[in-house]
Amino acid sequence: MSGQNNRRAKGLAVFFLILPLVLFLISLSIGSYGISPRGLFKTVLSVVSPALHPDVPAAYRDILLRIRLPRVLLAMAVGAALSVSGASLQALFKNPLVNEYILGISSGAAFGAALSLVFLGRAFPPQVGGFVFAVVAVGAVLLISGKAESHFISLLLTGIIITAFFSALLSLVEFFASPYVLQALFFWLMGSLSLASWKDLYISLPLIAVGLVILYLLRWRLNVLSMSDEEARSLGVNVRREKMLVIAATTLITAAATAIVGIIGWLGFIVPHLVRMMFGADNRRVVPLSAAMGASIMMIADDIIRGLSSFEIPIGIFTSLVGIPIFLVLLKKTRKVWL
Amino acid sequence: MSIRVTNLAFAFPKFSLRVKELAFESAKVTAIVGPNGAGKTTFLKCVGAVLPTAKGCLFIDGRDIVSLKSQERARLVCYVPQEHDTTFNYTVSDFVLMGRAAYISPFALPSQEDSRAAAEALDFVGLTGYADRAISEISSGERRLVLIARALAQQSDILLMDEPTTFLDPKHEAEVLQLVKKLAAEKMKTILVTLHSLEMAVQHSDQMVFMKRGEVVAHGKSADVFQESLLESVYDMKMKIIDWEGRKIVLR
Repeated sequence: MSGQNNRRAKGLAVFFLILPLVLFLISLSIGSYGISPRGLFKTVLSVVSPALHPDVPAAYRDILLRIRLPRVLLAMAVGAALSVSGASLQALFKNPLVNEYILGISSGAAFGAALSLVFLGRAFPPQVGGFVFAVVAVGAVLLISGKAESHFISLLLTGIIITAFFSALLSLVEFFASPYVLQALFFWLMGSLSLASWKDLYISLPLIAVGLVILYLLRWRLNVLSMSDEEARSLGVNVRREKMLVIAATTLITAAATAIVGIIGWLGFIVPHLVRMMFGADNRRVVPLSAAMGASIMMIADDIIRGLSSFEIPIGIFTSLVGIPIFLVLLKKTRKVWL
Repeated sequence: MSIRVTNLAFAFPKFSLRVKELAFESAKVTAIVGPNGAGKTTFLKCVGAVLPTAKGCLFIDGRDIVSLKSQERARLVCYVPQEHDTTFNYTVSDFVLMGRAAYISPFALPSQEDSRAAAEALDFVGLTGYADRAISEISSGERRLVLIARALAQQSDILLMDEPTTFLDPKHEAEVLQLVKKLAAEKMKTILVTLHSLEMAVQHSDQMVFMKRGEVVAHGKSADVFQESLLESVYDMKMKIIDWEGRKIVLR
């Protein structure tokens, strides 16, 4: 890479790392009830000191604090979580096609969370059930396909079978759900941010943060883990222990995200690919930039859903419908090998 | 550092390796030869504890290598695979830097010292100008050198090189093996290398080990052990050794 290309790549990386912060502020202004940037600023100040800004309508504070802030924070966290999870799993399994869905993590988490919502109600955190069954699902995939050393085809086939099994269990849960719960469940399963509440965030955000910090710290190690197991072992890595740590962290963040927003398709697959296309394969760059780009894409998608249509399309459907064509165009335009 | 192998056994479903007693001297090149399926690679992977080997069979300067923690072991012994499967297209410098994994905590990044060690290793194999090139964009021969550079960055005293010259043209084959000799002479590395070319093996090694069907059939100084009768019994075919300008040529 020439010096000029290097500088351009660094500039682009800085842009993508700052982008989520800019989008965060823009996203707080967008919605069926528009708040101008000035209004947003005054509303934030009025939250800090209400006495100094009595002219700010109470509705602004309600919209900002109770509806938009949790929703935008959730979009950021889920986007970052799923993208980093995808990037880490692809490196770990030495295959760019792997994601949390293929490993059964998403369907396990969805089943666990649905089971919790239907039988224990919304008072009990669905993240617990989501995490437990996500662990069961990924554990079953790894165990049946030949533990963590498995060949990809065996892993893929086992993943498909386990995903189908948990999908069947999920249908069973839906069968027993009351019509009212079923409607909410149906919308949630398609991937939705509309149910975002502080209660969910208080549980999911710390879990996602813990998982992200672990994977961020392990980002260089992911390079070494992306070598064959024999090579990694010879390089001095405790392969089994470190693989389990990465799988635990990705399962944690996927379960924490899926439990409140349902299954968001393709994000964890597409974002790491986009990052590698632009910035190369080194996970020291791939992990943080996947987090930033995933958060940005989720916020943009949610802004479009909230701002452009009078009804809300579930974001899971939207990310799949928009993400796949964009990915295909980029794939065709970018002729160089990035994998 | 010297290696001692005693009563080593390893079994796959249809193949088993048994090595009773073998020793490798410090700072020497040992060529391990034998027909396909003789167990050369399995033996190398066992010595590097890349395959799950039983305790009490492999000793480096008297220390049981299997009992060591992976980081500690990697600082002593390095297994260099035949070829690297490039799933992700790392740059050459990023790839060589991975050789420093044994010195870096799982949660840390490589330091400047690690980068310097990687750059020095790349320089030693003559690929300094390749640092920013993608690993998929260099030739097969250059990739072998990059693998050796990564092993050098690992700074272990023992290198186990699995067929480093397969699929290389004669010029690159000679270059890689000259580099192997240079590593033993200048960096005092103890090197075990599996080879198919008998001429290259005898020319570039100090000692040779002949393997057949999972067992060692002969070992010793290359000049002493390299005999027609042994070659014929190991490879089950008629062979003739000819001396040509001080080098041995095998006719078959």
